Amino acid sequence: MSETNNMSDILLEVKGLRKVYDKHVVLDNINTTVHKGEVIAIIGPSGCGKSTFLRSLNMLEIPTAGQVLFHGTDITDKSVNINEIREKIGMVFQHFNLFPNMTIRDNICLAPVKLKLMSREDAVKKADELLARVGLKDKADTYPAMLSGGQKQRVAIARAMAMNPEIMLFDEPTSALDPEMVGEVLTIIKELADSGMTMLIVTHEMGFAKEVASRCMFFSDGMITEENEPKAFFENPQSPRLKEFLSKVL
Amino acid sequence: MQTKRQKNIYGFFRIFAVLFCVCTCMLLSSCQKKLAENKVFGVDDLSGSVIGVQLGTTGDILVSDYEEDGSDTTIERFNKGNDAIQALKQGKIDAVIIDAQPANAFIQANPELMILEEEFVKEDYAISIAKGNTELTASINKALSSLKADGTIDSIINNYIGENAGKSPYTSPSGVNRSNGNLIMATNAYFKPYEYYENGKIVGIDVDIATAIADYLGMNLKIEDMEFDSIITAVSSGKADIGVAGMTVTADRLKNIDFSDPYTTSSQVIVVRNNEAVQSGSNFVEKFTNDFITDNRYQYILTGLKNTLIIAFFAAIMGIVIGFLVAVIRSSHDKTGNMKILNAICSVYLTIIRGTPAMVQLLIIYYIIFGSMNVNKILVAVLSFGINSGAYVAEIFRSGIMSIDNGQFEAARSLGLTYNQTMISVILPQAFKNVLPALANEFIVLLKETSISGYIGLTDLTRGGDIIRSITYDAMLPLIGVALIYLILVMILSTLVKKLERRLRSNERN
Ligand SMILES: Nc1ncnc2c1ncn2[C@@H]1O[C@H](COP(=O)(O)OP(=O)(O)O)[C@@H](O)[C@H]1O
Ligand SMILES: [Mg+2]
Repeated sequence: MSETNNMSDILLEVKGLRKVYDKHVVLDNINTTVHKGEVIAIIGPSGCGKSTFLRSLNMLEIPTAGQVLFHGTDITDKSVNINEIREKIGMVFQHFNLFPNMTIRDNICLAPVKLKLMSREDAVKKADELLARVGLKDKADTYPAMLSGGQKQRVAIARAMAMNPEIMLFDEPTSALDPEMVGEVLTIIKELADSGMTMLIVTHEMGFAKEVASRCMFFSDGMITEENEPKAFFENPQSPRLKEFLSKVL
Repeated sequence: MQTKRQKNIYGFFRIFAVLFCVCTCMLLSSCQKKLAENKVFGVDDLSGSVIGVQLGTTGDILVSDYEEDGSDTTIERFNKGNDAIQALKQGKIDAVIIDAQPANAFIQANPELMILEEEFVKEDYAISIAKGNTELTASINKALSSLKADGTIDSIINNYIGENAGKSPYTSPSGVNRSNGNLIMATNAYFKPYEYYENGKIVGIDVDIATAIADYLGMNLKIEDMEFDSIITAVSSGKADIGVAGMTVTADRLKNIDFSDPYTTSSQVIVVRNNEAVQSGSNFVEKFTNDFITDNRYQYILTGLKNTLIIAFFAAIMGIVIGFLVAVIRSSHDKTGNMKILNAICSVYLTIIRGTPAMVQLLIIYYIIFGSMNVNKILVAVLSFGINSGAYVAEIFRSGIMSIDNGQFEAARSLGLTYNQTMISVILPQAFKNVLPALANEFIVLLKETSISGYIGLTDLTRGGDIIRSITYDAMLPLIGVALIYLILVMILSTLVKKLERRLRSNERN
């Protein structure tokens, strides 16, 4: 963690987060702080609670216990308008979840227009800009069914970006893609990171994590077992669980 | 994918198949069938035979004794006398026991039938009135005795029966003061010459007598046509003030209803097949003219079609509204756990409506819920079918909502859309498209189901055909005609839905 960060840079704080399904403990006492501009790669074996953690940050999963502070506001509190908070937290899913009944442009404009954040004309302009940025300017009027997986995920990123979020959550954004399409999506994410966007990325792409992340987190058994800057994380792992995991995937 | 050419061929084939069926039916209708052998020649032969009666009539009550005499006598109860007569002609039953005057009318239209000389029983006709309504009973008795004394009743009856029929029609005296309100008469207009349809109106001896009584009492007569076995319910529940339908006073009926003094006497006779009769079959054109052209009888079909369309259309809209609300409540509850009470109400509604027949629901709404209210029957039918359809539409919508991947919901919520915005902009449009075929199917079922509207005396398409059948005694053409109209309506409906579906799909091209 960088020493230069001070308190005012804190975007997100997680305190004692716990999630239990029936009797199955999925997340157990998670504590971490996310500063503005950080790019955090979340790594770990499947089923260890990475998605649940990410989804707890915008209340798609309601934590069993603990707090999630966004700009110091505890968003697990029922009196908080979670919809307003979610506008500031973009999310990109493994399976894209584009709206098949709308054109690509409408997929992107829907939320800004419905939430009255922009006029329709401004939203369309913004959508076209974002589409140009992800290299899909010519697809604005087509429907999701006509795009490849990689193109869909780029649209999904543009859709999240249209809300001008302060932080982006990526849940395995390339896991559902054919290998030849992984690169185009990672390139876009890397560009976003370079532009200073704060991001949490659940990924199995170790090379990408090492190159882009400012911090890596290792999840196992519902806990953050190890956390470090990428070079030390990959080259000098401490815990036996991480050592074992890296030896399998690298 | 079918090519356009294949589709055309398929379409032509279908239309050809329909035409083929129609032609076959027409041929069948115009060819002559041999009359079955008559087995009943007197009252003694009734035991052991198959006897047809009109449900709830005196004939039904009296003949019921035969059922228990251990001689295998079967009683077939028909909703209309006319249906019994047709069954007799077709050899399905051996004899029909029915009032003498309607029997005469039937014989005239059906020369291959005859009335046995030996009468089954003689009986008095009286007007039924709700139990305890002694005031009305007294007024009606007073009116009857006055009308008997001045010869009005005899003149009315002679206008329908005997040599001088048609010579003494009843007309209301001029300047009758009708300030004493409505007199609602329940009847079953399939009982010539007492009550029957002519030129779209219900006429007959009972109608004229009731008119004369209303004139005498300074009241306004309103006629409600219904099934015969519903008349007593209608009168005792207050839906109608009097029942005038050639009703005989019997001990069973007196338990539920009061009767006025008798206004005429009739006898129950036995109608059988007459194997000696020379059969003169009319050809297709004659039958068609008689069924639809004479006296503008096609009007019955047109009125019925109009009512059927009105009922189906508004019931469908009501069904969509109810179904939509119920589906949204139910699926929100499934997702969020909110709205427990509303969800419970919806569950009860779905269970009851889907667990009982539409016809029973229609009768309950008409006779119990709107029991004593004088309410428009079309409105009752729209309500009943709308409520019924809503339950099925709700489950169709709900399955449509559930078929949408949860990721759609999460993606929309993660962008900051509220639950309602997500449902309206993302989930419901996709759900609607998925359920369109099922929804179309439901409306086709609904359209056909409205054919039970006749049970509350409403002239829908089916009953329109029935009225013609009761006038012309021809079953084939009115029924085939009605079936054909339903078929065409359904085919139009499915074509429209296919077009809509194709348009929605071409948007997504997936
Ligand atoms: N809705 C749920 N109900 C019960 N168990 C769940 C549910 N969602 C996730 N889990 C369980 O929680 C654990 C963590 O899941 P997840 O966060 O998706 O793991 P990861 O993303 O690390 O693969 C898994 O064992 C999974 O079976
Ligand atoms: Mg996961």
